[in-house]
Amino acid sequence: MSLKRIATLVVALVISVVTAFGAAQSARQTTLVIGGDWGDLITLDPGVSYEFTSTTILDNIYERLVKFNGDDLSVVVPGLAESWEIAARDGGGTSITFHLRDADFSTGRPVKASDVVYSFQRPILIQSPSAFLFTDVVGMDLDSVVAIDDKTVRLDMPEGVNPSIVLNLLTFTTGGVMDQAEVEQHYEDGDYGQGWLNDNSAGSGPYMLERWDRSSQVVLVTNPTYRDPGPVTRVIMRHMPESNAQRTALESGEIDIAWDYTPEAFQAAEAAGVLKTYRTDTFQMSYLGMNSGPGAPFEDNRVRDAVRYAVDQQGIINSLLLGLGRPMQTIVPAGLMGADTTVYYERNVAKAKELLAEAGVPNLSVEFLISTGACGGGVPCADLAAKIQSDLAEAGITANIKQTTGGELYTIYRAQNAQLVMAAWSPDYPDPDGNATPLGSFPAGSIAWRNVWDNAEAAQLASEAATTVDLTARQALYAKLNHLVATEGPYAMLYQPSKPIVTSPKVLGFVRSAGGDVEFERISKLP
Amino acid sequence: MLSFLLRRVGSLIFVVWGVGFATFFISQVVPTDPAAAALGNNARPAQIAAYREKRGLDKPAWQQYLLYMQSLAKGDLGKSLRTQRPILNDLKDFFPATFELTLGAMLFALLFGVPAGILAAVKQDRPVDLGVRTLALIGGATPVYWLAILALLLFHSKLGWLPGPGRLDAFLLAPQRVTGILTLDALLARDWEVLYDALRHLLLPAAVLGAFSTALVARMVRSAMLEVLSQDFVRTAKAKGLPEGKVVLKHALRNAALPVLTVLGSLLGGLLTGAVLTETIFSWPGLGSYATASATALDFPAVMGVTLVAGLAYSLINLLVDVLYAVFDPRIAYS
Amino acid sequence: MSATTPMTTSPRIKNKALRRFLRNPGTVLGSILTILLVAVALLAPVIAGDPLLQNLAERLKPPSAQHLLGTDQLGRDVWARVVHGSRISLRIGLTVTGIALVLGGLLGLLAGMLGGLVDEIAMRITDIFFAFPALILAMAIAGALGPSLVNLMIAVAAVSWPYYARLIRAQVLSLKSLDFVDASRALGASRWRQALRHVLPNAITPLLVQASFDVGGAILTAAGLGFIGFGAQPPTPEWGAVVSETRSFIIEAPWASSAPAVAILLTVLAFNLLGDGLRDVLDPRGRRRG
Repeated sequence: MSLKRIATLVVALVISVVTAFGAAQSARQTTLVIGGDWGDLITLDPGVSYEFTSTTILDNIYERLVKFNGDDLSVVVPGLAESWEIAARDGGGTSITFHLRDADFSTGRPVKASDVVYSFQRPILIQSPSAFLFTDVVGMDLDSVVAIDDKTVRLDMPEGVNPSIVLNLLTFTTGGVMDQAEVEQHYEDGDYGQGWLNDNSAGSGPYMLERWDRSSQVVLVTNPTYRDPGPVTRVIMRHMPESNAQRTALESGEIDIAWDYTPEAFQAAEAAGVLKTYRTDTFQMSYLGMNSGPGAPFEDNRVRDAVRYAVDQQGIINSLLLGLGRPMQTIVPAGLMGADTTVYYERNVAKAKELLAEAGVPNLSVEFLISTGACGGGVPCADLAAKIQSDLAEAGITANIKQTTGGELYTIYRAQNAQLVMAAWSPDYPDPDGNATPLGSFPAGSIAWRNVWDNAEAAQLASEAATTVDLTARQALYAKLNHLVATEGPYAMLYQPSKPIVTSPKVLGFVRSAGGDVEFERISKLP
Repeated sequence: MLSFLLRRVGSLIFVVWGVGFATFFISQVVPTDPAAAALGNNARPAQIAAYREKRGLDKPAWQQYLLYMQSLAKGDLGKSLRTQRPILNDLKDFFPATFELTLGAMLFALLFGVPAGILAAVKQDRPVDLGVRTLALIGGATPVYWLAILALLLFHSKLGWLPGPGRLDAFLLAPQRVTGILTLDALLARDWEVLYDALRHLLLPAAVLGAFSTALVARMVRSAMLEVLSQDFVRTAKAKGLPEGKVVLKHALRNAALPVLTVLGSLLGGLLTGAVLTETIFSWPGLGSYATASATALDFPAVMGVTLVAGLAYSLINLLVDVLYAVFDPRIAYS
Repeated sequence: MSATTPMTTSPRIKNKALRRFLRNPGTVLGSILTILLVAVALLAPVIAGDPLLQNLAERLKPPSAQHLLGTDQLGRDVWARVVHGSRISLRIGLTVTGIALVLGGLLGLLAGMLGGLVDEIAMRITDIFFAFPALILAMAIAGALGPSLVNLMIAVAAVSWPYYARLIRAQVLSLKSLDFVDASRALGASRWRQALRHVLPNAITPLLVQASFDVGGAILTAAGLGFIGFGAQPPTPEWGAVVSETRSFIIEAPWASSAPAVAILLTVLAFNLLGDGLRDVLDPRGRRRG
């Protein structure tokens, strides 16, 4: 081979390597990789989704009629609906009329009112786990949503439903609008396209689903029909259940954002100052549920009070969460209207013992149900439970930990068979009613019911507050309810966690709302 | 030989059936309602009842079993309670990753175990032998998950030589899925960058998973070699003045191969078990992670699918080993 | 064939065996480790403090005079947790092996003695259990029964027994064909008496060897199950569970998860060495294997 040919070859090689490198480089700049534990991911159908991870993903694929702007959850802003009017209905109740903007689905079809009707009826028809939000919380049925013309859709609510709650609720994933014509082509055994939607998408949001490699990753790509696309054209959600793996992957540049730092790792990252650290708010709350039914160990409120006095809330927050959480002792968390951050109970072991003695159970022994995995704020549930067990032991309560897999906790808890349970609650929509009714009202059949706390006053307050439109009056009702549940309820609240998130310094514009939304199209990456 | 094969295939079918039956039996003692587990925290009693009816969970056990066997005969493993997908699709997604990992581990075990065993046997009772035996003992006693954690910490976090968990760098696009075995697919697509990266991702988990097998293989090779080396024909060859290396390679190794072959089959069972733990630490999307998640969610149709596949794979490999044995060792007669 | 395996052992042979046992550094190490382990387990309350006592002010502290192996994420003494964990692991190892031995042994005995259809069925059942990936079967059982120490032992025993069935059956078959059994049959002893009188004592040797390996194997499997959350309930210091719950702190506190992991390693190693040694001594034929 002549020297000249060799030289040509070398040059060609260099050029190809450099261009390949350049292409790879720009791909890196438009690709966002998020590492996290996506173990809760079981569906990518917005009508069925009810888990944290799927909510974060689907809100970037399926637009809702209304949404929140970034992390400001105080006011709903237009989404697919440009505007809406609220009016009273003849014969009671209210209706909301939405005027849709011009938008296209990623399939190329325009978004029509009939798609909204279809998308709202679908969860009810499927009997999906999230359908109760429509049917139970705001009293919708199949006839409640009506297409007036191609761009106008009306939602009819029965009497007693607060339209502001409806609007808040419609920001949730279940309100995501999908392309009816497309989805209907993919029905299989009457599954309403549920199977197809796990690997494909038919939304009008900024991204569409490229692939879901089970237990490995979910890949989103820009929706070419979206009106205002962001700089990131590909989002990869990598499943990394081990938090240490996320940590090293972020440090080595394999991922851009880590979702599940432990408090220790987060503190170290904050101290090092190389990576960007975010303490994002949540509406989540970790709590102990105490069975207060007749004959149950916590029937006597003095025993419940004893638990509230015995738990070392501040110790948990300082030493286990390393500050990634704030104390809360009642049911409406900070950040929501009507929030109550009063400290009703300071730790007092002597007082707890006294109360137990008064109640005639100085040596109480109960089964303490906890789940596997990490609890709010990234603390392993087993550690949290061990800490609480030792706190309670000081007051003379023996809590025998029973850590259960998967649905066993639900099965026991839901059947009102739990004695003492450690669980978490997060409202599905940022409205105090998302907590007040399930946690305060026994007839609502949710958390208060599971703990067999049948308090007529609390149920009355919750339902009255839900239907009250006047803000001041509503707040006053929640103040009453908060106090009542804090001092007499079946809960010993533990904390309201922050969600620690760490990103590479190259990531700009990252915002996570307390509701768990991240708008990927607003994120960009430095080269 | 043919009747031997037929008999073996017959017993294979029986074994796979038995594995499925045993799993079904276990699934019937679950105190927890799988429907409640599948529907999550907020399911209403009516939804749970509807789900039970739809999935046939409300029928008596024997009816459920008959239905299951009916669809199984049609090649349908049913639907997973957790992922809501046909289990066959799930297995197609997860099996190749485990296959790749297991194969990598097996290769690793042979690549290091065989030479180590030979070396130890040839240098019996010398420091090399002692070293190999000590390492083999430790390798056989180390909890694989701890080894995985340490290996990641050292080679990924501290030294940065190897990539972290997962099968491929997130910024690289996986090639067209043909077999699901990433290295093979990359090879088929001639995507050298992906191939290189996939191999690098495979190295650490395969080595960790293979550590136990390496120890076992080294021990087996060593003792098989010792047995052969002490036999007359090898001594004769040595006495004839043949160089030692040649003797070892020509006579001893060939004769020692058979006993080693027999352990390979049972090794596979151990590898699958190890894969459950290794996959957890390495975020490896394989059957092990799938089985763990399914068992945790009490998704017994899915667990059944995994055990059927694993049982089938195990039986097939052992059948293959037996056949190879028959081919290589004419002394064995099959009646 | 081990037809001459001593029914009555002369002192001379015994001494020889003992000498062979003691000459092997591996078996000596194995014995020492095992004795140490048992001693630690027995003396746990004396040599270590409360494994559950928390001190949040002393979280993730490195080893010191006060805490020999440092502290974990709740400020518990890692030494105390590892030491008390040895009781749990030993109990698991011995119980599981005991159950597997009795269950498997009984089935193997029945299969070998009765032969025919019983034998066929029993052996096919062991085939099925061999084909099961052990950990997945154990996971299914533990998942179905719910996580607890007892269920963990049931699960591990379920995957351990088939070895014994095979082993005993093989022994029964080989001994059945031997002269002295025939002789005693001629003398009119019943079949089952034969089994108890001759077969069992002769099967003890390989059983002991297998059992020794299995104690280690059971501990390793149980710890693996504990690691993925199918084991003891928190805050029980079961070794596998302790490795699992401390692993996310491995960068801040490597001692917390390494100590129980090393404990598992040493324990399994001890029983494996012991098994090797026992085989050398009791079953000289098998000396070359393994």
